[in-house]
Amino acid sequence: MVSFGSDRLPEHAAAVKILIAGGFGVGKTTLVGTVSEVPPLHTEEVMTEVGVGVDDLVGVEDKSRTTVALDFGRITLSEDLVLYLFGAPGQERFWSLWDDLAIGTLGAIVLVDTRRLEAGFGGIDFFERRGIPFVVAINRFDDAVEYTVEEVRDALDLAPDVPIVPCDVRIRTSGRDVLLALVDHLMSAPLALA
Amino acid sequence: MTSRWEQSWDEDAGPLVRPYTLTRGRTKAIRDADLTLITLVTTVAPDEPGGRAPAADDPSAAARRKARDGRGRQPEHQQILELCREPQAVAEVAALIDLPVSITKVLVDDLLRDGLVTVRAPLALARTPDPALLKKVRDGLLRL
Repeated sequence: MVSFGSDRLPEHAAAVKILIAGGFGVGKTTLVGTVSEVPPLHTEEVMTEVGVGVDDLVGVEDKSRTTVALDFGRITLSEDLVLYLFGAPGQERFWSLWDDLAIGTLGAIVLVDTRRLEAGFGGIDFFERRGIPFVVAINRFDDAVEYTVEEVRDALDLAPDVPIVPCDVRIRTSGRDVLLALVDHLMSAPLALA
Repeated sequence: MTSRWEQSWDEDAGPLVRPYTLTRGRTKAIRDADLTLITLVTTVAPDEPGGRAPAADDPSAAARRKARDGRGRQPEHQQILELCREPQAVAEVAALIDLPVSITKVLVDDLLRDGLVTVRAPLALARTPDPALLKKVRDGLLRL
């Protein structure tokens, strides 16, 4: 007989999701791993990729199967609520995957590295266009020049109400503070958006 | 981590076993739209008659038993049933059985049709999440 232990998630448990976007090597998986209660899980989604934005293929309708890697972690928030954190590649060609990822998401974190701020544009643009609330987290790298939050806001052309949180994704409390900043941002959002 | 689909001796030849063999060629779950990455999947306890399968195809406990031991099952179906004794997200199931998400959805869909698992859609599908839910998320994060 299967035993359903009482310390486990009940069947009525529900899930919520937060997305973590950012360029390659910016620390998405590190952030997931730092705050997740399980080592980051890895899976793959097979995507049909239409050859868009490649001049040579215009009109060819070339569809190829692409495998996209997804890293994610989980945080059990209460006895019946689980938060999943998904890090995914930020490149534009993966946006059909992002559309799927964005379904039912609470909000998003765009993780940036001040040495390659431009890698954050894709995620910012994606979330702005779809009206998905997000915060920008600046991952501190030891050899990076320190910029002020306002300098980063200008460089990324961010609206004044988008929170910018400096962080060190290797530190659990720092990663948690980024998540809290997003939740606070969601709580402060005007209800008129509904 | 290398997934087993990458462990082929010739990269260009692709995996030795095509994932779609497991799904007998099906590439999309019938309820694909319902099965999101964080849809929670829970195995219906064998002795529990209350599986919430849709009324139209709600099999009796005996039928469920038959389906559980049924032909046409892959070992992966059994793995999913074992994993989901505790609710697991579709993405988690995919990671743990080491199959792409789309394949996993097809397999979960099979189990759903046989009434062997129940699924629960994610919360917060609305554009503005419920303040009570946000508070619960915040309180949970503060305990980290």
